[in-house]
Amino acid sequence: MLIQVDNLAKVYKGGRGLSQTGFSVDKGEFIAIVGHNGAGKSTLLKMLAGWIIPDSGEVFVDGLHLKNRLALVRKIGFVPESPNLFDFFSVQANLKLFARLFKLPLSRIEEILEEFDLLAYRHSKIQDLSKGLKQRVSIGRSLLADPPVLLFDEPSSGLDFEMTKEIYRLLRSSHAAGKTILFTSHRPEEIKSLATRILLLHQGEIIFDGPPKEYFLTKIHESLYA
Amino acid sequence: MIQNILILTLNDLAIALKNKTIYLILFIPFFVFLSLQLIDQESAGLQQVKIGLVKDQAYPTMIIEKIQASDKLFSILWLNDQAEGKKRLKEKKLDGILLATAEAAPGLKLIVLKKTSHATIATVESLSALQTAVEGKSKNWIADIQSLQDSGVQRQTLPTWILMLVLLVGFIIIPAQVAEEKEKKLLLGLLQTPINEFEWLLAKLLLGMILIHLAVIFLHLLGGFEVTNVLSYWAFISAGSFCFSSFGISLGFLCRNQASARSLGVFFYLPLLLPSALSDFSEKLTNFAPLLPSYQFYQPIKAILLEGSAISDFPLDLLYLIFVGVLTSLLSYQLIKKRWLM
Repeated sequence: MLIQVDNLAKVYKGGRGLSQTGFSVDKGEFIAIVGHNGAGKSTLLKMLAGWIIPDSGEVFVDGLHLKNRLALVRKIGFVPESPNLFDFFSVQANLKLFARLFKLPLSRIEEILEEFDLLAYRHSKIQDLSKGLKQRVSIGRSLLADPPVLLFDEPSSGLDFEMTKEIYRLLRSSHAAGKTILFTSHRPEEIKSLATRILLLHQGEIIFDGPPKEYFLTKIHESLYA
Repeated sequence: MIQNILILTLNDLAIALKNKTIYLILFIPFFVFLSLQLIDQESAGLQQVKIGLVKDQAYPTMIIEKIQASDKLFSILWLNDQAEGKKRLKEKKLDGILLATAEAAPGLKLIVLKKTSHATIATVESLSALQTAVEGKSKNWIADIQSLQDSGVQRQTLPTWILMLVLLVGFIIIPAQVAEEKEKKLLLGLLQTPINEFEWLLAKLLLGMILIHLAVIFLHLLGGFEVTNVLSYWAFISAGSFCFSSFGISLGFLCRNQASARSLGVFFYLPLLLPSALSDFSEKLTNFAPLLPSYQFYQPIKAILLEGSAISDFPLDLLYLIFVGVLTSLLSYQLIKKRWLM
């Protein structure tokens, strides 16, 4: 088992958030976390990424506790819904900063630029790029240290059809390369075409955990989004 | 069209209210009013001149008797020695100290804080008026005037500009930058790398200190201002830049976005700048300003630049600045650990 989550909770003012959630993830799984806005999907991913400090609960990733952040950053790559890149710097400068902090050889930047088809944009400033390109840079940055687990918060949010296809291709190739992926989504076609397992969150609790086939057979998705 | 303009204006006002900008409109006039209340209000013409006389001085008897008799013009304070007098001059508790001259003709030497000040003019005018009333026109009682801060007007304003620069970086630039990193989730992105929160904090502190040092060096190069006690001067610039950069970082952490950080920065900038800078003009402010860390920075810088003082004259001020810096750094560290408003 790669990820173990026990009684993880984070409650915001007004009662929303995530309450006492537990599940485990095996290596190589491709998990869609589904639910209404405010169901706790992003909160769950952000807690796994260390962006939000949980109120309670335990998380272990590859045997490392969530509190061991400095070691965990090499195990988890997180791609937020809005790319958090340094706008005034170029694509290459953004990747270089993170490569330096991870103490990676600069050749790794070339690999990422090539893999994500960003060579033509290496000197472009982030602020001049489209959202799709920014998302590609953001994914590339999260893969710099080659972490075994990738977390994507609404990976295709705000992207056009072509860019969405491109992001799906990148996600699939990362999964094929052996990465374990968790992503949040509202889109049934995205869930169907990518996920091998679905976690449905409702009002901060997991109410479904199973394969996509079973999920769509139960009509739970239609009733939830009706 | 008018309706649209009104809707947009109301929306802008709501944004200004939300990011606290509008509070500045209330705060700035209120603060200026409060500062004006703290500046001594008596008219210079009616104010008694506060004169210090040193006990062991052989003053011309007639002159001292006349000064003591003119209790509407002068209030006299007897001092144990000159050092006590100089201390009280700096605290604005005296307008001048009179010393006996060694010359054959009876006369006095006047020691003031600055030659070009209202207090000095009032002192000389009052003594001159008294002499005219007693003797008519004859040789001046005041044979010599000596000031503690013997430098040009440009140089005398230098400590105020230095204070302004340091506070500008600490309370306007740094909080906005920290809040921007929070607002755009850049800090959270950096914390997904193997850097720890302490390293990030130190880097931000260094940024503030470098910016302040560069600004001060640039000002000195442009103005051609020389410093005699270089080590003491840079020790205080370093301690001040550490203190106010750290303060600014913690303010940035208390805000969700850049606009709030700028507003909060101004809330701290003015109350730290004005009482210290205006303390030269007021005994009331001189009593109140030492509570502020900006005064613990301003006074030593002023004394080093204008009076040739050294770091050994202000050890507590230096420790106070470092203490405030460490305290606010600890606050920032706790806030970053809790991912406060991120």
